[in-house]
Amino acid sequence: MSDTAVATAPPATKHKGPRVKPMRLLLYTFLTVMALAWLVPVGTALYNSFRYWEADTQPNGAFSLPETLTLDNYRDAWNVGEMAKTFGNTAFIVIPALFFTLLLAAMVAYACTRYSWKFNIAFLVLFTAGNLMPQQVLFQPLFQFFKRMPWPDILSDTDTGSLLGTKIAVILIHVAFQVGFCTFVLSNYMKTIPKEIDEAAAVDGAGVWRRFFKIILPLTRPALAALGTLEFTWLYNDFFWGAVLLNRGDERPITSSIAVLNGQWASDFNLIAAASILIALPTLVVYLILQKQFISGLTLGASKG
Amino acid sequence: MTKTANRLQSLRDSSLSRRNFVIGSGAAAVGGATLLAACGDDDEAAPAATTTAAPATTAAPTTTAAAETGVGTTTLGSNYSDEKPRNALAAAVAATGVDTIINTIDHNTYQENFNTYIQQPDDVVAWFAGYRMRAFASKGVVGDISDVWDNLPGMSDGFRSAASGLDGKQYFVPLYFYPWAVHYRKSVFADNGYSIPTTWDEFKALCDTMAADGITPLCAANDGRWPQMGMFDMLNMRINGYDFHVSLMGGRENWEDARVQNIFSTWEEILPYYQPDPNGRTWQDAANALGDKSAGMYLIGTFLTSNFDGDTQADIIDDIDFFLFPEVDPAYGQDAIEAPIDGFMMAAEPANEEGAKALLAGLGSVAAIDAYLSVDPSVVAANSNADTSGYNALQKKSAEAVSSAKFISQFLDRDTDPDFAANVAGVGIADFLATPGNIGTILADVEAKKQTYTFE
Repeated sequence: MSDTAVATAPPATKHKGPRVKPMRLLLYTFLTVMALAWLVPVGTALYNSFRYWEADTQPNGAFSLPETLTLDNYRDAWNVGEMAKTFGNTAFIVIPALFFTLLLAAMVAYACTRYSWKFNIAFLVLFTAGNLMPQQVLFQPLFQFFKRMPWPDILSDTDTGSLLGTKIAVILIHVAFQVGFCTFVLSNYMKTIPKEIDEAAAVDGAGVWRRFFKIILPLTRPALAALGTLEFTWLYNDFFWGAVLLNRGDERPITSSIAVLNGQWASDFNLIAAASILIALPTLVVYLILQKQFISGLTLGASKG
Repeated sequence: MTKTANRLQSLRDSSLSRRNFVIGSGAAAVGGATLLAACGDDDEAAPAATTTAAPATTAAPTTTAAAETGVGTTTLGSNYSDEKPRNALAAAVAATGVDTIINTIDHNTYQENFNTYIQQPDDVVAWFAGYRMRAFASKGVVGDISDVWDNLPGMSDGFRSAASGLDGKQYFVPLYFYPWAVHYRKSVFADNGYSIPTTWDEFKALCDTMAADGITPLCAANDGRWPQMGMFDMLNMRINGYDFHVSLMGGRENWEDARVQNIFSTWEEILPYYQPDPNGRTWQDAANALGDKSAGMYLIGTFLTSNFDGDTQADIIDDIDFFLFPEVDPAYGQDAIEAPIDGFMMAAEPANEEGAKALLAGLGSVAAIDAYLSVDPSVVAANSNADTSGYNALQKKSAEAVSSAKFISQFLDRDTDPDFAANVAGVGIADFLATPGNIGTILADVEAKKQTYTFE
């Protein structure tokens, strides 16, 4: 889109070929340089994650030729960062959070798009406005609320006596914050599904639940898949809530593994690079598998409102 | 299903009975609410503590999981997240014989998040001596452990005062310390015939000689805005004395005072000998200049040696020595030294107070620090009875330097309101290094911003 815009910027009618070519060349040079510039940090991190820090990268510099290549950094990052455990913690938080976010958001979206009642619009506006609130602002009230909220041990993964310090609390916060955006997107998508489908099902005797689960939800699948990839990345990358609500180091999500590898005085940056790459892998995998949905997800809900 | 299995497994791992933990968490809920009240900045929070303190769980008699010491299981919140200190602390805790679950949190998050962590703390928590301990002691979020101090042989009076709150009670048990001093390479000094400067004039003369010999006289780093705080502290204590330093840190002096101006004008005399643009350099990068002998001296903590690999760079480590910061005003000589102390506090209402105190007493003992040093020998024991036979030359020198010092400061960001240190004083120092000529406006700015802090 942008390249045609640039290429045809002066609406050239005659002499199309020779005029466009230098512009094209310029464009591709620019794009290549930008792409490489973006790749340098990632590439350097990847390259140095295979080198020793104290014996090699630190004295010789990050761009020098390697003395030896090694996988030790990956092994150490996995062990010292206790990644087996923190990956598990992240899965424990992200999977239920993702499931409930999408389910609840779809329900709200369904109600707001299929039924008209007085506060229909106000309700949607409320959910959309929730997206604009910086999460950190709510930290203190939520923290104090969780601390005062008794929580039966049987319903939690850790025994803290209150909701504070449990992964359940983190899941609840994620659901609450993400439902707003998902409702916004899903309601816009559901508006594009013809109402007649609902009406036909109702005439055939399908109840509200049945229409929601058997007809609308399956039709919303592309939007759900797109949201699923986006939300997975966002929830997976969360460090803030995991760090402030979970008081036990071994309860914390994968993002805290990098923090653990940051030394008090001296940091082994190659080790941190290896950890970063390990941690980025799951999001990369999800992205590659659901690439199509991810890209359409970025513009989802942008055109209808 | 798996959740239950995991939980059972984790309970088994920690050799902690579920019942015990239930009591613990109930007590923690009560304690937490009280702590909250203490943390609140007004009195309104106090009634809330009583109304919301209902424990979520019912207590059951403690019958299991008592350790060999008979004080039950206790918990320890630790910021010893680097591999070596982490193992060393585990060894120290094992030496106490108290059954303890160590909760390790990466040091950076732990320190920055301590205000919220301490509202739901472990029984014993790792922390720093000095102002940063006193701030929490005076808010009542950490417990009085004066009775532990009744039986802590080997701890000097200096450590006792560093462990005391403003009310004179003890709230802290020191484990180790690491002094700040001017580090240099023995071989460089020997090869060039340099001698150790003891006065400011000798120091500057040595800098001149080094510069003439093509060596950058002073390593200079200030990335993170803390390394140069050490220079500020030393100059202030040498020029204006320890008492003024404490008073200035306590917010009781005017930063536009001639005495503070004097610190910076004296500092300016050695800025030409600095590595250029210190604000952008990490302390490790500056250390590498000492490593390749392109720079001559470095005022930094003894953790300097941790920048070098113990195996491949052992020759550098063995070649590093330090001397005390030179005298500036003969009235104060070299009577003060900067030596941050790390140690432990007790939560205000620990789940297992008996266990917590036993653990604290144990951590202050010779057995614990000996076990610690056997794993991580980069620090110096606070307990004077500790086994020093394993000390290397630097550790011995550190111990002597601190024990002979009349005054021990903790470091700027530990001796004053940490927020003031990071966002006001630290910024002022960085600005000074960038544009020394602006010191007048910089100090006026620091003094103006200081007014927004209470220093309580």
